[in-house]
Amino acid sequence: MSPANDTATRLRRLLAILTWLAQEGEAPIDEAAARFDLTPAALVTELEMAACYGVPPYSPDELLEIIVTDDTVSTRMGTALARPRRLSPREGLALAAAARALLAVPGSDEDGALSRALVKLERALGDPSVEVELDTPPLLETVRGALDAGQRLAITYYSASTDQTGERVIVPRHLFASEGHWYVDAWCEVADGVRRFRVDRIASAAPAGPGPSEVVPDPPPSGPTAGPEGDRDVTGTAPRGAYVPGPESRRVRIAVDPAMVWLLETIPTAVAVDGEGDRPVWEVFVGGDAWLERLLLRLGPDTLVLDPVEDRELAPSAAARILDRYRPNPS
Amino acid sequence: MAPPDRLERVTDLLLVLLDTGRPLSLREIALRVPGYPDGHDARRQAFERDKKLLRDEGVPVATEPIEGDDQIGYRVDPDAYYLPDLGLDLDEQAALNLAVAGVHLGEPIGREALSKLGMGGRWPRRGAPLPVVDLPLVDGLPALPALFDAVRSRAVVGFGYRGEQRSVDVAGIRFRGGHWYAVGWDRDRQQARTFRVDRIEGLPVAGDPGSAAVPDGFDADEAFSRDPWHFGTGSAVEVDVVVDAAEASRVVTELGADAVVDRADDDSVVVRLVVTDVDALVSWVLDLLDHAEVLGPPEVRAAVVARLEAVIGAGARP
Repeated sequence: MSPANDTATRLRRLLAILTWLAQEGEAPIDEAAARFDLTPAALVTELEMAACYGVPPYSPDELLEIIVTDDTVSTRMGTALARPRRLSPREGLALAAAARALLAVPGSDEDGALSRALVKLERALGDPSVEVELDTPPLLETVRGALDAGQRLAITYYSASTDQTGERVIVPRHLFASEGHWYVDAWCEVADGVRRFRVDRIASAAPAGPGPSEVVPDPPPSGPTAGPEGDRDVTGTAPRGAYVPGPESRRVRIAVDPAMVWLLETIPTAVAVDGEGDRPVWEVFVGGDAWLERLLLRLGPDTLVLDPVEDRELAPSAAARILDRYRPNPS
Repeated sequence: MAPPDRLERVTDLLLVLLDTGRPLSLREIALRVPGYPDGHDARRQAFERDKKLLRDEGVPVATEPIEGDDQIGYRVDPDAYYLPDLGLDLDEQAALNLAVAGVHLGEPIGREALSKLGMGGRWPRRGAPLPVVDLPLVDGLPALPALFDAVRSRAVVGFGYRGEQRSVDVAGIRFRGGHWYAVGWDRDRQQARTFRVDRIEGLPVAGDPGSAAVPDGFDADEAFSRDPWHFGTGSAVEVDVVVDAAEASRVVTELGADAVVDRADDDSVVVRLVVTDVDALVSWVLDLLDHAEVLGPPEVRAAVVARLEAVIGAGARP
């Protein structure tokens, strides 16, 4: 039996249809079928069967009133299987968090309907006090406006993995927030490919005329977490968030101070490998030298790069470069 | 005759259990719900499968002791099963649906929740696609729903954190910077504390509903300190950091415009941070490489220099 037709799935779908239908009162068969991914014939079969459920001494009408005509289906509000049901903690959390998250996106609730819905939802859930904060980079609205209007943007972008600032012309395609930051996947005319940019690293953005008229179909957004740095080629790669390799990317193996393991745990691509004595050994995917420099400096002096050994030079030379700011050498 | 459809049997079972005012024994259930096999063992087996299916679907099938030979009865308490109608207007329903469509929770749980509220199925697409937000919700965060439930039922929770057992009156759940946190009152430490949910060890164990005792006037937002350099317990010191143009925009986004005390013509900014954990601040400053410099006070500047010298020293060792 296919998973789509096992009893649990059918029960869930039946209850979903009835609860929805109770609010609608009556709906065209075609619309109801499309809504629940059924053919009209399958919907009618399922509902006609359900209309016969119910057991003596209770008449079916008391419990479950479903009327199927040639064109429409309807049910009565208040029948046993058509009333809204309590949410599990996970479901309640999911809804409250989703509403809170969207409210944290500037400009997403201009008519206030989501805020009003959330008040009602949270009252029913027992005022759970869930809050979601998202960054709001100053240029988020500019990028979103260009995306909605299909506009080109001329940007100044600081790439953290290479520690370089450069000018680019981009056509935004997708805007998303992940792991605490906003990202935009955009066609980059300099690179002639799709690149990922962290919105808070865009230092300036100016409209640069309409984008190409031919609209490339959007790949479906998928995948949880964000990529490590903002400027990788993401053409046809991995879902949003997966690590996107670049020219400087490599695996680096390091032995760290056990007290600093928490920092590695925050890096999506970092994995613990065998320990050497009491020194945990981790492997990280590194996008560029500057990225590894940051990590090694934050991990502190009790960190040793095991492989590749050439990367042992990175932390001391970065430290010396920064130290120059603190002890200017008159030359 | 074809055997009765199992969906029919399960649906009838749900109707009977909802409708009964008292717990019913399996024998009584089999009299009311057609489709159970005759043999005692086969009937028990079929019923147990149906009960499990209902429970897996979130139906609170209660097991209660009853008088008589059967000893155990079953029912579904309508109050535990139904939600009072939320009274959502159509535009409010549409807004909630958009939120579920635009926020990726890592699984279809938001859709299931909407279905239970009568907002199931596909919604027609309209307008420009909204930005998408990823919220890690259940993947790797089994503690989160338990904490959520503890907040709403006002229950004290116990859990392991950094190798110690904590007893916490959780006041709220917050998402910031890509992570979920629980904010509350740590009973053993008698202090407001913030816990990163992905570092909680094992599943939190909740006390009885109403057992939480969050102190009067406890403000979860205030207790949820803004920045990691606030998590320390040292005395607060104001630290000025100059950040050059390459990173200025990102830093101002992170800290808020209020932190900026000076802006120079070259687009660098000076930001002022209130710091109780100097190590955390040093880590934050070093993440900016040579795009940032601590201007003062001298002891914090010295801490940065000491860290840098230690890294250089470690690199010089064979």
